[in-house]
Amino acid sequence: MTTTGVLSAKLWIRRGSSADPLGQRGGHQLLGSVLSRGCGPVDHLQLADLVEGCGAGLRCDTHEDGILISLKCRDIDADRLLPALGWMLRQPHLDESQIELERDLSLQALQRQREDPFHRAFDGWRQLAYGKGPYGHDPLGIGIDLEQLQKAQLTSLASDLESRGSVLALSGTIPDQAQAQLVDWLGTSKTESSSSEAGSAIRTSLESDRGERASLGLQSLATEQVVLMLGQAALPHGHPDDLALRLLQAHLGSGMSSLLFRRLREEHGVAYDVGVHHPARAGAAPFVMHASTGVDRAELSLELLLKSWIELMETSISEVDLKLAKAKFKGQLAHGSQTTGQRAERRAQLRGLNLPDDHDQSCLNQLDQLRASDLRDAAGRHLQSPQLSLCGPAETLASLEKQWTLSAFAEGNAP
Amino acid sequence: MGLCHGTLTAIPSGPVLEHRTLHNGSNLVTAAIPDAALTCLDFWCRGGSAWERSGEEGMAHFLEHMVFKGSRRLGPGEFDRRIEALGGSSNAATGFDDVHYHVLVPSAESKEALDLLLDLVLDPALEQDSFSMEREVVLEEIAQYRDQPDDQVLQTLLELCCAPHSYGRPILGWENSLREMNPGGMRSYHHRRYQGANCCLSVAGALEEGLISHVLSSPLAALDTLMDSDQNTRTQSSLSFHSGRQCRTFPRLEAARLMMVWPVASADDQLAIAGADLATTILAEGRRSRLVQKLREELQIVESIDMDVTTLEQGSLVMLEACCPAEQIERVEMEIHQQLNSSLTTAITDEEFHRALQLVGNGHRFSLEAPGAVAASAGSQTLWGRHRDLLAPLQDLMHWNASTLRERVMPLLQPQHSFTLIARSEDNA
Repeated sequence: MTTTGVLSAKLWIRRGSSADPLGQRGGHQLLGSVLSRGCGPVDHLQLADLVEGCGAGLRCDTHEDGILISLKCRDIDADRLLPALGWMLRQPHLDESQIELERDLSLQALQRQREDPFHRAFDGWRQLAYGKGPYGHDPLGIGIDLEQLQKAQLTSLASDLESRGSVLALSGTIPDQAQAQLVDWLGTSKTESSSSEAGSAIRTSLESDRGERASLGLQSLATEQVVLMLGQAALPHGHPDDLALRLLQAHLGSGMSSLLFRRLREEHGVAYDVGVHHPARAGAAPFVMHASTGVDRAELSLELLLKSWIELMETSISEVDLKLAKAKFKGQLAHGSQTTGQRAERRAQLRGLNLPDDHDQSCLNQLDQLRASDLRDAAGRHLQSPQLSLCGPAETLASLEKQWTLSAFAEGNAP
Repeated sequence: MGLCHGTLTAIPSGPVLEHRTLHNGSNLVTAAIPDAALTCLDFWCRGGSAWERSGEEGMAHFLEHMVFKGSRRLGPGEFDRRIEALGGSSNAATGFDDVHYHVLVPSAESKEALDLLLDLVLDPALEQDSFSMEREVVLEEIAQYRDQPDDQVLQTLLELCCAPHSYGRPILGWENSLREMNPGGMRSYHHRRYQGANCCLSVAGALEEGLISHVLSSPLAALDTLMDSDQNTRTQSSLSFHSGRQCRTFPRLEAARLMMVWPVASADDQLAIAGADLATTILAEGRRSRLVQKLREELQIVESIDMDVTTLEQGSLVMLEACCPAEQIERVEMEIHQQLNSSLTTAITDEEFHRALQLVGNGHRFSLEAPGAVAASAGSQTLWGRHRDLLAPLQDLMHWNASTLRERVMPLLQPQHSFTLIARSEDNA
């Protein structure tokens, strides 16, 4: 017996949680979850029979900028399964009982996420950074909004599902017959790519009320450690300064040679898990340093994070570190395109964000021109006002709060 | 809708493995994936936490940390800098049975990466200063896990059903055992476990010319052939499992958990493992599985329910986890018992069996795309003397049918043979 070919299909729909209407936070996630609960000619059980009967994987994940439907199957099953993507996109049944079930599951999942102090700290940071803006809530939603969501709202969201277009990317063994029939199964209408509407909405929202936002968020929790998240809403993916920030991310947080790993873990032993969270987004993406540390060393950890942040803007990294950051960036692209699923998802994501297919290659071509001073200048332009979110024991939070008020980034202390 | 086609690469068949045993008993397994951009070098050692002696609890994992602090030739951080400067990455993981260290680098750099990896793993510096500093990092790691209720529930379950066997204690060890350790003791543990017959190097990806001969003249070939005295006692320490049931409360638990665990065959009984995979898939994988369909879809009393087979050398474990509102937990337990009981008498339909065969089979097929996954699979099997093709598990599945699963596997997964832990929030107690 030999392995047959594998096919990965990724359908990116340019409507994510950032498009949730007022009072309907979690709407697109709920919609995404019911797309596979009855669509086209099949109900929720028939679709499960079809997919599971082929041993395939079909999932739907709602992100801030889009809904991503992922299908992984053997090539011999492609012609039976690919049509389901079109049914989900164009003909969801939105059955009331299935909506109710998914809504309850989402509410329970929201509740369970609260167990994780990292999740709580990030939620807190998100509130600080985005407030009521499009990125201001977990894609899963907010309890009070989710509870109100009914078929009528989902029907309305579903009718707009393709208003910004969608993209299908396939990778792996694509059977000839399937290629010929793709248009029949999935259609080609509404191919116009959107303007950067989502991104501009997020930037506008940030600029309008930035001055009103607090710089510090505290969540008291009876844990052993305190979780620290220091970050700023930065840039959309593809912005002219994006590559500079990606190199700073590699320098600070990628791998065991990274600055935060060396400084917090190797030199001071104050944390196990340290890094930088900086996803690719259509709008201003989080650029967040994170660490969790024992309460007795929390002040030192915060001091080290603040020092590392300030250095980004005040000093240029060494030539050796710059070269290393560039090597890591190249390595990350190779690491991120090993499987059919990874390759298809990257293609779908790039088009989903209205970036050209050769975006990554263009970045590689630009690497040589970037100097350490360019990185420092980009940090000066985009990372000047970080916000701090903390989750941990109340007493520790109180002492860290004092420390923060003395820092350059607290309200009133800004340069 | 816009369409874009990704790279049209296929996996026409699973990568072919080549096995070599070196004169000192160590093993080399290679999997050629000619069009892969990256090559994975994965060093495996029979040096998981199950090999620790009294007073060494946590040593295997702590040593894994210490290995990355440098060797006699590589200064602290030098390994990471050099691997990452090649565009590569590295990591390691310690399990109950074994530990492995892996690097993933562009294929043309694999010889240099091999030299760095073997030097680091086989000749660690274990200096006092870095030892003391890294112990603090491990203690932070333990604290981080203690703050995750999920992990606390799982660790409690394993302790209740497996202790005093080593599978019942945390791989990370205990604070007091870690505080008592010193570099000398760690060096002795390293010498005891990192010997020829306990080690295996697995390489997957585009194989650089001359790489194999490079391995054959590397420090892997120079390892001692001496056998660890533990080697002969391994088979005697098979898992002792206690069935039973307990209720516990945990701080900050936002949803109740019902956990059940059963002992099944050890990893070397591959047919039995295949049977357990099929049975757990019929019971709890996907919307159409029996437990998911009944408890989540019809009764709507759980947020999630799943079953997994954890394959272990001294006895594998099947684990079931259901997350639900606290007020539903008694009913959830009753319904699970009913489903498990009825699996003894309710025939597995052709559709159910076919579905399980496809899901489990594709799980194996889909895992062979990336060099890292291939190297890990080949390395972990070869380390334990199982020189099998990557797709041999597909053949194992074919030994089962609906009747034999019902008659021979479902009886093992009955409530009375399990250990059950009911976990509720301390706040609601």
